[in-house]
Amino acid sequence: MLALLDAWFIAPFDYGFMRRAVVGGLALSLAAPPLGVFLVLRGMSLIGDAMAHAILPGVALGFLLAGFSLPVMSVGGVLFGVLVALLAGAVSKMGGQREDAAMASFFIISLAAGVMLISMGGSSVDLTHVLFGSILAINSTALLLIASISTLIVITLAIIFRALVVECLDPLFLRGQSSRSGWVHSVFLGLLVLNLTAGFQTLGTLMAVGLMMLPATAARFWSKRLEGLIGIAVVLAMLASTGGLLLSFHLDTPSGPSIILLAGVAYLLSALFGRYHSLAAKLRRKTTPLALEQSH
Amino acid sequence: MSERSSSRLQLHDLHLAQGRRTVLEHVDGDIKPGAITALIGANGAGKSTLIQAIMGELRPISGKVVCTVDKARRAWLPQQLALDLTFPMSVEELVMTGSWPSHGAMKGYCAAHYRKGREIMARLGISHLAHRPLGELSGGQRQRALIGRTLMQEAELLLLDEPFANVDSDTVDILIRILRQMADEGVTIIIVLHDMDHLRRLADEVLMLNGGHGRWVAPSALNHQHAPAQVVPFTLGGRHAGTA
Repeated sequence: MLALLDAWFIAPFDYGFMRRAVVGGLALSLAAPPLGVFLVLRGMSLIGDAMAHAILPGVALGFLLAGFSLPVMSVGGVLFGVLVALLAGAVSKMGGQREDAAMASFFIISLAAGVMLISMGGSSVDLTHVLFGSILAINSTALLLIASISTLIVITLAIIFRALVVECLDPLFLRGQSSRSGWVHSVFLGLLVLNLTAGFQTLGTLMAVGLMMLPATAARFWSKRLEGLIGIAVVLAMLASTGGLLLSFHLDTPSGPSIILLAGVAYLLSALFGRYHSLAAKLRRKTTPLALEQSH
Repeated sequence: MSERSSSRLQLHDLHLAQGRRTVLEHVDGDIKPGAITALIGANGAGKSTLIQAIMGELRPISGKVVCTVDKARRAWLPQQLALDLTFPMSVEELVMTGSWPSHGAMKGYCAAHYRKGREIMARLGISHLAHRPLGELSGGQRQRALIGRTLMQEAELLLLDEPFANVDSDTVDILIRILRQMADEGVTIIIVLHDMDHLRRLADEVLMLNGGHGRWVAPSALNHQHAPAQVVPFTLGGRHAGTA
């Protein structure tokens, strides 16, 4: 039994690439889910997806300029992500269109432009690499970058936490309290772009958003408290990233999709058996509504 | 107007529009500090528009609003709340967000502040709801919690847009008592009202909006009125009995 546990859970980490991959995955799991929780609470769940596409042309330009260099591609991704966010904001202000509509238009343009750029300068393998990542190929430089970005995100979130909460709850109140309340939204979008840029090496531009959103949406079935949502989302993301890596190692499946699919399983199980709003909770509620009400 | 030179909110020949449609013209007045000023008028008369302008959310076409109350000490409870009721936050946490002027985005709350929050909740009769999520509150409970936030904020200017709509009578009584106490403590309060009974119990000054113009009337002039609430603004004459 112990030998089996060792073979499944310990032995894979004898390899350096697995150790780097798990540290990268855990670092991302600390930073991404809190952002996802706030996106869900702000009713902006799809904005994460849009931003993930928005960074692609920048990543592709970095790839064309410097080959598969993570720092250059990351800088390109951040610049393009911020540019698209600014453009979407400007178009929505100019035309009275909602920001998500402008963002949806820009992200699909960005995806097409990114795929076009990578195809012009690289092979289909490169394209797959950028779109779906390769966590097992993380080197020390990439790991340092991912860990630094994740640390920066966690620290910045801690600093703006109260402002972000008040802005989510009642933007009008925050606007009344501070003439610079707009910065909270901008900083938040900036953190989003940074996180997706850190995530694309490990999970790919298309999958990076998964580790942000799935643990956050799953957590909604387990807690009604903000701290609870964030804590549960982080734990789920850590389990998914580590579990997904192990599955990928043993079953020889692609690492990024393995991680995200495992997070997906956590979401589905939460939707079925979670404490609040799940199918099981609804069935329980039908039989003992009063007791449930009191337990709140 | 000389006796009102100490007023902290003045309206100077305000011309306000929503889009291209003029809503109000030539609105003047000094809002008396420490008094409750009622805004009355039919639906669409421009009450909410005037409040938006006072809060700096709507730029006047001409004229100006002069407000010397610090921005952080102004509180506004609009008719359509921007408050996200699905947000996972308790009543106590909402009340505590009113500490923003003193604590800002970074400073931690100390025990004395939590104690103050609890005292405010007790004053409003919502102590038992302290840990209840906002989404599970009734309209009246929510309104009390929001007033709790303004008390925590130590607001010096409070604007309320129909605060008693869809609110139970117990809550109305408590809120009227609290608003009167706040006014006595020197808070400038502007309140949009439709109900004659509320008007009689609360208003020290009345600004009536009708036909795109504002007119100050004495609350006593309303006392003999028995018309239905919605009709009140049209039944009054053009007496200029207020501040001017």
